Amino acid sequence: MPEGPGQDEELELTSPLVPLFVITNGRALPPDHEYEHTTLVTATGAENGQVAARTLSPEAGQVMDLVADGFLSVAEVAGHTHLPLGVVRILLAQLEEDSLILARTPIPRAERVDRELVSAVLEGLKNRFGA
Amino acid sequence: MNRDALVWCLVAVAAIAVAAVVALVARNRALEAKKEHTEAELRHQLLAADSHLHASRAELQRFRNEQDATLREAKEAAEENTKSVLKGAASLLQSLAAEQTTLLDGIQRKYGGHAVLSDLLDVNHANAQMARKAQGIAVMCGAPLGRRNRPASVYDVVRSAQGQIRNFHRVAIMQQTGLALKASAVAPVALAVAELLDNAASFSQHDAPIEVTFQRVQNNLCIVIDDAGVSMNDEDRQRATALLSGEIAPRLSQLGTQPKFGFPVIGLIARQHGFKVDVTGVSRYGGVRAVVLLPEELWTMEEIPPVQEAPVSNIRRASENRPHSAPHSAPHSAPQSAPPSAPSRTMHGLPKRGARQAPIASVPDPEPRPDTTWAAPRSPEETGRASGRSLGAFQRGTLSGRNLDATSFEGPEDA
Repeated sequence: MPEGPGQDEELELTSPLVPLFVITNGRALPPDHEYEHTTLVTATGAENGQVAARTLSPEAGQVMDLVADGFLSVAEVAGHTHLPLGVVRILLAQLEEDSLILARTPIPRAERVDRELVSAVLEGLKNRFGA
Repeated sequence: MNRDALVWCLVAVAAIAVAAVVALVARNRALEAKKEHTEAELRHQLLAADSHLHASRAELQRFRNEQDATLREAKEAAEENTKSVLKGAASLLQSLAAEQTTLLDGIQRKYGGHAVLSDLLDVNHANAQMARKAQGIAVMCGAPLGRRNRPASVYDVVRSAQGQIRNFHRVAIMQQTGLALKASAVAPVALAVAELLDNAASFSQHDAPIEVTFQRVQNNLCIVIDDAGVSMNDEDRQRATALLSGEIAPRLSQLGTQPKFGFPVIGLIARQHGFKVDVTGVSRYGGVRAVVLLPEELWTMEEIPPVQEAPVSNIRRASENRPHSAPHSAPHSAPQSAPPSAPSRTMHGLPKRGARQAPIASVPDPEPRPDTTWAAPRSPEETGRASGRSLGAFQRGTLSGRNLDATSFEGPEDA
């Protein structure tokens, strides 16, 4: 088909070759309270895990390499893999389901205690025990 | 007397008979001559009529040919016109879809931590399918396919194709391979594999698996797609083979109202880019086995180097083996003898940052350490030293702040 030279300019595809939804294999995000930024993850090092690790996608394998011999926070995993946090959380959820990793939720923040209540209790204790 | 009379009578009869015979013969001759003459005349006329008929027939044929040629020309012109109109539209659609894919990827990375991500992933999936259709129409109209500038592993190319079909999670890639496709082959092979996967998905049960494996056969790399659907009959096979070889390129107008341009598209791009596609095999599930056969010009043995990552092993190990973190960091550390307080210089003469005073504590310390530990010089190891130091300072600050607060609270209460 005869074409003008200008018309046949090839379109350059700049988007990443593998779309993120393929990396997550269409899984949904885990609930909000799971895999927060500061949740720590590490590999279980289980024997069956190493077998399963051979069939992992490259991205999941990269995550496994990162957490192979120590704890790393979810945010750090996301930073090192250059993947969006949500994608990393989905990958981690999948890995934990396959019992390849352990997740340790951060210690919850202490609740702020009402100071008046505390002093009232202290007052009561003093009265009771006569300190 | 009587006898004489009888003889004369006989003679007279004989004479009459002879005369009659002569007359008859003469008449017969004349008739024959006349007949021959008429016949010759008729034959002549017949010949003339025949030649006339021939001429007419030839003329008719000529007219018929002319008409056919005109019709064909008109059809081709219409086809070309349709193609060029569609080509413009499809190219635009294709570039818009590509632009949208890039945009969506940016948005996904921007809002990666947000719950909206899962919706964005769905949108991107829909967009990828649209982009494939746009590419298919563009190819049918003779427009160039989009191109990619970097080689990619064949595994990633198949994953890219996987993302372009609806039920992509049914596709299982059974192997990982380091073999890479050259940049020019990435986009066409991805589109061809996507069309084959789509075909496999639409001609099998909605939950049946589709398996992809890779094989090296002599100098060719094969992408094998097995489905568990219905196999094709001989007629279908022949038609598919003809379409996939690119020998038959059906007209746009022949595609019908529910156009199936999977195979024609594959045939066209396979021919343009020099690979072969075959769907005559039978998969191990009794369905169709599709094979994309890539000659060695399209792929290399070289593995795609993974993106270089800053080593993180030190950070992890430091949190575990804090007392002896130095040996682990040896490959990255400056000479241990160098005093960390002295501002050393890089090879370009820039001042080096001081050593991190404490590793980033991923795990809370078992016991609070005295201040001397913080000040203890550590080997200059991690890459994120500055942030580590500021975190340390922050931690110290909050600690001292809390201590101050505690004393100030206890004061009035005790009084």
